[in-house]
Amino acid sequence: MAELQKTLQMLWVVNIAAGILLLVLVAGRRNYRAFPAFSLYLVTNLTVNVCSFLAYHRWGFSSAFSWWFALGMQVVATSARALAVAELCKHLLARYRGIWGLAWRVTLGSAASVLIYCYIAAKYQWKLALISAERSLELAIAVVIVAVFLFVRYYGVEARPADRSLALGFCLYSCFSVLNNTILERFLDNYVTLWNFLGMLAFLGSLLVWTWALRRPQAEVSPEETLLPAGVYQTVAPQINFRLRLLNEQLSQFWKTEATRN
Amino acid sequence: MNLTMILFSGFVAALLLLLVWALRAPKRPARIEAGACSLEETGQRHTNYLAQIRQALAPADYDFLSKRATRGVQRRVRRERRKVARAYLAALRVDFRNLLRLARVIAVLSPEVVAVQEFERLRLTAVFAWRYQIIRWKLWAGVASMTQLDSLSNLVSGLSVRMDAAMKELGERAAIAAELASLRDGRGLDVA
Repeated sequence: MAELQKTLQMLWVVNIAAGILLLVLVAGRRNYRAFPAFSLYLVTNLTVNVCSFLAYHRWGFSSAFSWWFALGMQVVATSARALAVAELCKHLLARYRGIWGLAWRVTLGSAASVLIYCYIAAKYQWKLALISAERSLELAIAVVIVAVFLFVRYYGVEARPADRSLALGFCLYSCFSVLNNTILERFLDNYVTLWNFLGMLAFLGSLLVWTWALRRPQAEVSPEETLLPAGVYQTVAPQINFRLRLLNEQLSQFWKTEATRN
Repeated sequence: MNLTMILFSGFVAALLLLLVWALRAPKRPARIEAGACSLEETGQRHTNYLAQIRQALAPADYDFLSKRATRGVQRRVRRERRKVARAYLAALRVDFRNLLRLARVIAVLSPEVVAVQEFERLRLTAVFAWRYQIIRWKLWAGVASMTQLDSLSNLVSGLSVRMDAAMKELGERAAIAAELASLRDGRGLDVA
């Protein structure tokens, strides 16, 4: 256990160093112009990491104060992450006004459903409330990112590699956090150190993905696409759906013929 | 492993699968030209070959063969007819995909989209994909009977009439929409 704690402290230092390196890269390449919320998240996260490290160093890993302090800091970091994710979603879809209007409603609806689901699935124990809340937020973030990627895929929208990589880093980290928190909830005290270690390892992975994504200067968000007049969609979309229904009906009749004769 | 762990692990696994699928590069470029020409062409390609398909699937031909030709010839005809049916299904799918691509381009380039229309299209796509695969597997496995294949000819001719009507209506509406759009741009008339 002592060895794991030592490794944990080393990993913490590595994480802080990687965070500083990424922040320097973002500043040096002037990528904060394209990703202001992401840059803010990096600063917040670095501050949170340093504060938590100092708290653990001062009061130890097993102290209740350190535990609550670190979790409180985590809430701040998660909120900053939610902002950064919102910025990425906007980067990916906001150029297409119509699709964006639909996408943000659907993704927010999905996120709200996930939060309700998590609330129902959680065990109602005060001790676990914070872990459950963090897990819910992480899951909601992962759902939002996947939903936006599904929109991008479905509508064949072009996504810049940097946006994709940043979103991927967030999504993988959130998915891992959900699993990690779920295991923590089950095994609590016996798992805390390992939970910390695995969480930091996952975050280091995300930091590396983001560093790779922002290794070059990124252009600011492209201007909105030239759009068709509103009347075109209102007229053509129902007609196309009508024709799709006809094609479906065609298959359906063949299907029914088969079903009745088999 | 308790229920919460199973639930959340399953949720995360499903999310990761969706993420991998969404990040996979599409097989073909999804963007097409959204011109009036492609709109007219879309959905009409397979109907150009209706006469040939109908002839290939006509029940009269098969009745004639069943009385006069050997079993070997009948089997060959049956095989050929299945091939025609498969080709027809594939053509239907091409039409369906072209329409979908066109609809997506229009949605992407529109200032406002209607959720009901978009979800309806998603539902139609899922239903079509499911039925298409089942019918295709049946054709490959030879489960579909000859009479079922014969019924295709009637279906095809029925579709032809309705598609023609739909194309005509679409053409008229598109012309009206273009006129209204130019009116709105020129005189500030709000028709949206």
